[in-house]
Amino acid sequence: MGWILFPARELYTRKPMVETIQASAEADAHILEDGRVRVRLRGNLDIHTVGSLWRELEEQLRPRQTFALDVDATGLDVRGGGGLALLRYLRAGGFTPHAAVTVRGLPPKLDEILQVYEDHGLNAGSANVPRPPSIPQEIGSSVRALAGEVREEVGFVGIMAGELAAALFHPERLRWAEVKRLCIAAGVNALPIVSLLSLLVGLIIGFEGSKPLAQFGAQIFIADMIGFAAVRELGPMMTAILLAGRSGAAFAAEIGTMKIDEELSALSTMGLDPMRFLALQRVAAGLLLTPLLTVYTMVAGVLGGTLVLLSLGFSLPVIYHEMAIRVHLSDIGIGLGKSVVFGLIFSAVGCLRGFQTGQGPIAVGVSATRAVVSSIFLIILADTVFAGAAFILGK
Amino acid sequence: MNTRPDVVISVKHLTGGYGEREILHDINFEVRRGEVLVIVGSSGCGTSTLLKHLIGLLPPRVGEVWIEGENLLATEGEVRTRLQRHFGVVFQSGALFGSLTVSENVALPLGEFTNLPDAARHYVALSLLEVVGLGGSAHRMPAELSGGMQKRAAIARAMVMDPHILFLDEPSAGLDPVTSAGLDALILDLSRYFGITFVIVTHELLSINAIADRVVMLDQQTRSIIAEGTPAELRRQTGNPAITRFFNRKPDPGQTIQTR
Repeated sequence: MGWILFPARELYTRKPMVETIQASAEADAHILEDGRVRVRLRGNLDIHTVGSLWRELEEQLRPRQTFALDVDATGLDVRGGGGLALLRYLRAGGFTPHAAVTVRGLPPKLDEILQVYEDHGLNAGSANVPRPPSIPQEIGSSVRALAGEVREEVGFVGIMAGELAAALFHPERLRWAEVKRLCIAAGVNALPIVSLLSLLVGLIIGFEGSKPLAQFGAQIFIADMIGFAAVRELGPMMTAILLAGRSGAAFAAEIGTMKIDEELSALSTMGLDPMRFLALQRVAAGLLLTPLLTVYTMVAGVLGGTLVLLSLGFSLPVIYHEMAIRVHLSDIGIGLGKSVVFGLIFSAVGCLRGFQTGQGPIAVGVSATRAVVSSIFLIILADTVFAGAAFILGK
Repeated sequence: MNTRPDVVISVKHLTGGYGEREILHDINFEVRRGEVLVIVGSSGCGTSTLLKHLIGLLPPRVGEVWIEGENLLATEGEVRTRLQRHFGVVFQSGALFGSLTVSENVALPLGEFTNLPDAARHYVALSLLEVVGLGGSAHRMPAELSGGMQKRAAIARAMVMDPHILFLDEPSAGLDPVTSAGLDALILDLSRYFGITFVIVTHELLSINAIADRVVMLDQQTRSIIAEGTPAELRRQTGNPAITRFFNRKPDPGQTIQTR
């Protein structure tokens, strides 16, 4: 549909501007016999006065069974789009659906504008209102979308793992300066928050565990609990979740903004694969920094628990001995193995969500949120698989 | 205060820019009621900055901007809001709200500043969208529209409060000639029929010739106005090469690559 042009310019005369809002518009309705209604409109009709007149007409005309509506607009001064919309609504039978409507007394130029409006069809826009889907339809499409997303994510993580394996044999494929920058931004800068949280969680577990264990005189087992939990579960899981929230979202936002600014298209037209150029470095950085940060988290968590044990009167050699009995090198290996997989997941999913960014200003925010939610979901899913496998293998 | 009743905008000794960087120096001009004033100048000479000063987004370093008898910069709170409701602004990018549909974007000010019933708000928004040729896209999201369509939706939104003054920043940029001509015709019609005053920043010569009652030309070197008048008057000015080059679409000799 093209522009609606108002009537020829020669018809117009320059009118003095509307001063402000004080003007008002009124309607007098006269009910005649046989369902005929005569309405006289007068006053200044602009966007500030149209609301009251609209409500007044709604109240006077809507409840009646009207077959013919005669509108006298001789005393009406229409001063903008709101007034035009009201006249158009009147003429289209908006207030009186079954009535034949005639509007008299409009200046010829205004009459012509309204005619143009009506020729273009009032409901052109309303006809396109999408019908909301039913609840079963919504549930079905949501489940289908979720399954599709998980499939996409796992597929992308696999592709990235393959690309990284290939990069092992061709290290020149990676832009190492970029990997270093990302490691600093996503890893080194995350050290303070990771260490603080791990230490605090270690303290919390220690304090919470000390009371029930004291009932059995078994407070020394806090060392077993902290050591095992920090190395096998808390270390890898907490690091991965923190990194997913901090760095995975940043990856999605960076790549998403680049997509909106058509930087990804520019890369493609230069013959550079955006996946290799952008995602590979980020996944490599994620893969390198996650195990390192995990070791740090393990140490901080154990330190937190140790502080609790020291405050309970246990000596350092005793705490060390107890932990050494319970925590084996294989546990540390399993924890680090998990962290590699988790690092791959959060960085690849962050990049994937960035590449999937839509259009508009809210798209980047949506991508970052989806990156965090999807990463945490996949990390916990992968951890469940690890736990199941460890149980079956008796590790 | 404004000296004449037909003066709707009065800019007095305005000097402004961003931070330490001065872009505009001692700008003085007036805009009369119902006229279409076009601000032109080479890229980077401060046309969009001047528009930001006029609508109060960027306070000038020195000078005053009087709109409908009020010193815009001296107003605040309720008075500023009431004054701002008298003008509509169409930004270069359209600046539609991405989380609202096109018709919700247009109807947004109606919900805040009028007592129109819900259905009536939607109807008014739809009517305006049809005026700009977007009736069929009322329920789409801004991200689903082309750049030109977004700009037309932004014009509908700027018109919805029956503004006395409309400020448009590069309305024709990125539009095809047909849509651009449609926009020019709409500007003229709104100006002539409802007496809306337009202040437009544009570099489109065809648009300038078609719609401008008066043109104010800024100069990058002096950072001030170098010419003011009707398009025909400016085209006739042969004394200043910058004006001649602009209106005859000739490159600056210093910026061309000599191939011979």
